[in-house]
Amino acid sequence: MGKDDDGVGAHSCSSSIDSSNNPPADADHHPFLSSSCCGCGVGVEKRSSSSRDLIMSTDLRLGLSISPSQYNHNDVSSTSMQRLELMNWPPIKAVLRSKVAGKTENVCLFVKVYMEGIPIGRKLDLFAHQGYNALITTLSHMFAATILCPAHVTAGVDHCSKHHNVHVLTYEDKEGDWMMVGDVPWEMFLTTVKRLKITRADRC
Amino acid sequence: MQSMESTRSTRSLSFPDKVLHRVFTHLTSNEDRNSVSLVCKTWYNADRLSRSKVSIRNCYSVSPEILVRRFPNVRCVTLKGKPRFSDFNLVPPDWGADVHAWLVAFADKYPLLEELSLKRMVVSDESLEFLAFSFPDFKRLSLLSCDGFTTDGLEAIASYCKNLTEFDIQENGVEDTSGSWLSYFLESFTSLEVLNFANLSSEVDFDALERLVSRCKSLKVLKVNRSVSLEQLQKLLVLAPQLVELGTGSFSQEFSAHQFVDLESCFSSCKNIQSLSGLCDATARYLPAIYPACANLTFLNLSYSAMGSDELDELLMHCPCLQRLWVLDTVGDKGLEAVGSNCPLLEELRVFPSDPFDDDTIQGVTEAGFLAVSFGCPRLHYVLYFCQQMTNAAVATIVQNCPDFTHFRLCIMNPRQPDYLTNEPMDEAFGAVVKTCTKLQRLSVSGLLTDLAFEYIGKHAKNLEVLSIAFAGSSDRGMQCVMEGCPKIRKLEIRDCLFGDAALLSGLDKYESMRSLWMSSCNLTMDGCRLLAKKMPRLNVEVIQEDESDDSEADKVYVYRTVAGPRKDSPPSVFTL
Repeated sequence: MGKDDDGVGAHSCSSSIDSSNNPPADADHHPFLSSSCCGCGVGVEKRSSSSRDLIMSTDLRLGLSISPSQYNHNDVSSTSMQRLELMNWPPIKAVLRSKVAGKTENVCLFVKVYMEGIPIGRKLDLFAHQGYNALITTLSHMFAATILCPAHVTAGVDHCSKHHNVHVLTYEDKEGDWMMVGDVPWEMFLTTVKRLKITRADRC
Repeated sequence: MQSMESTRSTRSLSFPDKVLHRVFTHLTSNEDRNSVSLVCKTWYNADRLSRSKVSIRNCYSVSPEILVRRFPNVRCVTLKGKPRFSDFNLVPPDWGADVHAWLVAFADKYPLLEELSLKRMVVSDESLEFLAFSFPDFKRLSLLSCDGFTTDGLEAIASYCKNLTEFDIQENGVEDTSGSWLSYFLESFTSLEVLNFANLSSEVDFDALERLVSRCKSLKVLKVNRSVSLEQLQKLLVLAPQLVELGTGSFSQEFSAHQFVDLESCFSSCKNIQSLSGLCDATARYLPAIYPACANLTFLNLSYSAMGSDELDELLMHCPCLQRLWVLDTVGDKGLEAVGSNCPLLEELRVFPSDPFDDDTIQGVTEAGFLAVSFGCPRLHYVLYFCQQMTNAAVATIVQNCPDFTHFRLCIMNPRQPDYLTNEPMDEAFGAVVKTCTKLQRLSVSGLLTDLAFEYIGKHAKNLEVLSIAFAGSSDRGMQCVMEGCPKIRKLEIRDCLFGDAALLSGLDKYESMRSLWMSSCNLTMDGCRLLAKKMPRLNVEVIQEDESDDSEADKVYVYRTVAGPRKDSPPSVFTL
């Protein structure tokens, strides 16, 4: 979701070497520890442009087709692939098409969100948000709270400590640690977040 | 003979019919069944009373009432709905093919229904609930390319189908509202043999899945979705080493060396695996874990992993028995050379485009890859090949190497592209295919094609049943050659060609022996379609008119034979003439 295969390979290579505590005796034979591991990304160079996604999602559903009279017989070069996409060509199933390119149309990432002091939590689809600002906005509405956005949090913690009803957003990552939201790029955050918690700023 | 006749008429209806029934139960193919039912009235009756499986390949060709009246003892039904081009968004979403009316009829007449396979039908949650409540003996459900339901409907099936053995949900437009449907299977439920939810997108309740797999000891097919991690998959494999078909979820995770060894040994205890799919985002480092399970592999589906040529080469070295292979074109021509070298028993190859709308990257496969496979895999008889370029000479060589093609589906992705070396049309390529491959049943053509290609097809493709044409032909004569020349043609799908009314009407005599005809973005007019409808009253001639650009043109036309008359559930955009 937003990352290409090369990116996955690169990340995993470095962190696995760091995190392995007990290297096996025959490390040479294991592919992931060998020097070739960093070439493991099998990614195709992907363009990701939101405008392309827009074309795929709306125009494809309209099933626009261009009448054949608009084509010259041998005028191959004028037919850009994007126009073809609008015509639902080449014939690949829409469901498979988006999966194949690494994007999935209906994928959601629902995570639990708790607010400190409230035992019943909510659930939120992170993939429906474009970034941290959108996330904070949604959460502020959902919980009727003032949540500092990451920029303000890093700027001045002292500032927050004076207000009781100002909150910050934290998350539990894959390793089980609780971290402040906003330090890492949004895409990276998406790969590691397990759940969210809104805590009072004066507690941080 | 006469004395036998008279004594027979005084006895009650017994011996001969029972024998007939018994004999007919050995006729498994519905085609054979259809033939015997035409012999005489006795045989017709014997067939209709003993037929337990029906396959309706166009749900509008017959009505539920007619079906249940003719065949009262059916236990297994296959229903196919929308025209195939609905897969490519060419059919409006409200077009039809709702299964509910069928279920209502079945609930009344087939209370012992065991099996339902639906393809391109609209299935609502209400329908799934209705199904779950109406058929206590229900065992096998397969939904392929269907839409209209959510995971709520799956909950109903899980909760109430106590005898379920097969639950196969593939490539559907499912709205995932929650992953908890798996937890609706009762703790006492142990009969599942097939579970496929590979294309659902939401996270599933893994604990529920684990418990389900652990208590269903007869589970043979398990295909999970992307949300199931490698670590979780491992737990499942430990519980079900008897699996014959496995679809993994996400195949990338940060594993320590120890975990990798565990994963590898897990796969090596799965000695019965014949089919492997999923492998989403599989990277070179984890793929070797599956090698121990590949010794008996006959089907490998890599269309969800963007694999390179080297990874594929190494993987295929471990798959000596491979018969069917699906890959993405990221493997390139080099990867296909590896296929040619490693898979002598290969019968089917499908190469899908990984990023078909990307102008920038120069990638994918060319004629070289296909050639390499044909040299190494003489048994190849099914191919689906998406490529950037092709030559007439290459195709001619390919079919010389592999003359047994039954399914030849070639998609040169740029429409009307000629042979890139000679700049000539691709007529000779498909000419070679139909001349050499006498067993050809299904053909998809592409590239720059004149009427000559269709002359060849009409003249030589005597076993052709399904033909798909896009951006081709120079005049009406092209389609005419096909209509007049191919005696066994059943399904014809045409888009973006300049065939007009004359071409449409040239098939007048043929359409009743065909299942269906689809023509979109051709040169048909409403008048032409009306004429067809008038002359052939037993056909439904449906025109789909979505935008009101020109009322006299018929942009999308779907013609099919039917005994049920014009359908009553057409949406506003569909007119039956």
